[in-house]
Amino acid sequence: MQEKLLEILKHTAEAEAVDWLENHLAQQKEGFAQRPFYYAFSGVSRHFDKQSTVTVNTEDEEALSKATPGFSVANWDEFRLARVILLLTLAEQGKDTFLETLNALINTADIREQVAIFSAFPLLQYPEELVPLAREGTRTNIVDVFDAIALDTPFPMRHFDDEGWNQMVLKALFISRPLYRVQGLETRANLKLAEALSNLAHERWAAGRYVSPELWRSCAPFLTEQIISDLARVAEDENPNQKAAVALIAANSDPDKKLAGLRDDVASQLDDAISGRLTWDTLGQDLEQALLAAAA
Amino acid sequence: MRFLDSHVHMVSRTTDDYQRMAAAGTVAIIEPSFWQGQPRTEVGSFKDYFNTLIGFERFRASQFGIKHYCTIGLNPKEANNERLAEGVMELLPLYICKEGVVGIGEIGFDDQTKLEEIYLRKQAALALEADLPIQIHTPHRDKKTGTIRTMDVLEDVGCDPFKVVIDHNNEETVKTVLDRGYWAAFTIYPHTKLGNERMVQIMREYGGERIIVDSAADWGISDALAVPKTAALMKEAGISMEDIQRVCYQNPLIAYGQSGQLKEHDWEEAKGVDPKELFEGNTLLRGGQDIAAAMASKVIT
Ligand SMILES: [Zn+2]
Repeated sequence: MQEKLLEILKHTAEAEAVDWLENHLAQQKEGFAQRPFYYAFSGVSRHFDKQSTVTVNTEDEEALSKATPGFSVANWDEFRLARVILLLTLAEQGKDTFLETLNALINTADIREQVAIFSAFPLLQYPEELVPLAREGTRTNIVDVFDAIALDTPFPMRHFDDEGWNQMVLKALFISRPLYRVQGLETRANLKLAEALSNLAHERWAAGRYVSPELWRSCAPFLTEQIISDLARVAEDENPNQKAAVALIAANSDPDKKLAGLRDDVASQLDDAISGRLTWDTLGQDLEQALLAAAA
Repeated sequence: MRFLDSHVHMVSRTTDDYQRMAAAGTVAIIEPSFWQGQPRTEVGSFKDYFNTLIGFERFRASQFGIKHYCTIGLNPKEANNERLAEGVMELLPLYICKEGVVGIGEIGFDDQTKLEEIYLRKQAALALEADLPIQIHTPHRDKKTGTIRTMDVLEDVGCDPFKVVIDHNNEETVKTVLDRGYWAAFTIYPHTKLGNERMVQIMREYGGERIIVDSAADWGISDALAVPKTAALMKEAGISMEDIQRVCYQNPLIAYGQSGQLKEHDWEEAKGVDPKELFEGNTLLRGGQDIAAAMASKVIT
């Protein structure tokens, strides 16, 4: 994995920066020492370009997801990738050194360093030791840090327990993160989460606030009376993106036709959902684009 | 005119200061690690302090369109607590190469004790190892002896004077500091110590080469606008604009720029104030306040 990541970094990074990194990696392979590691991990900022987004071709993507399903470096900046490469060397240093050093790094990390550390989690050993760090990390309100733990990564899906998973999904909604980029929403759906999401929707409705249609995706396997009545309300919404959520559940997750009475309200979205033009991903992408456009 | 205040302790200052500094043309600041008035009793307090310098304070400055940098180090006062000092020395390697850390500082002598010298040496060696500039605090008592002793120690460790800024100079110390090749910084305190007029005299005598003006504004009576105010006074006194720009902007940029962590384009290409930016869920604006309007009402003349 480290080789492949270095190769990707070389697509964009300056030769001088890559030389520096490779020299450091070679030194650490001969004999690991914490202090030079700290210097290198922070010192990435002296050699690489944080404005530069790494380029990943199809072949790279395939190699990465073959080695670690769900793992991707798309849209990463050079700082992030260079630091993850360094962390892979740290991970080879035995459990005690690895965990002690990692904890020291997390406790003193600036925002970009935190982002890099959490980005590396799917590639690291001892996930049971990393879970508490990731869960503590999700308590942040620094959006970039939360995103590194929750979005476009297989780590929470694979290693969080239900409590951790549910808190993460609720928080992602609470701070308006694009839920379609959370991996494992279907496989990790659970009744407790569905109920909590329904309650969150009710709180928001009561306060006259927006409820993301992505919220209902985790409720799809649990069409309780309460959730069916929630979806009836969503189906009546004039916004086609709200209707889309009901259509997606009716088309894909409703074998018993519990939502039969709502189908007429979302007829045109239902056609799209059945034909595959509308998916949770396309809905999520549309919502994310709209949010970005509104912020700009 | 743009200003770079290379010594200011913003953790002790209010948002009013940030607003007035931005309005007066301060584009970047360097916050040295220092004593916080109340002695710390745990190493963890230093860790959280350093985390504040690279975290929340940097964000707070950014809310006013000011780029915030820092120097990291064990201050001479607290170097006298050996247990604490050893713990801080273990912590420093985690911070000194971080983004936006432009040197080791402020370090040096306070009471000029043995322990102070030990930790000055150790930190000077650390600066050499990490190839970083050093920001030196000179003692308020017996300043001249302390300043010379500091330079002796630094040269003994092998530091390059061009990578060291000696701060809190006065008329008694400036000549030897410049002669030995160091940067000489002057702290402008209102009413006491070195006032703005005395600074004008020093400029007349020594010109602008390797001289730096800073505010060292902290939790005591001090003035976060000392640099722009001194610049205005220098202009009135007929000092050339070129020299004023050097001591209030260009020189600290060159001195601390040797860290590779301080570049003019950091603020020239900044997208300006983004009130939507959040840190830990906080914005500093309250109740839908517009920062530009808030600042416009605070412009100093
Ligand atoms: Zn100071």
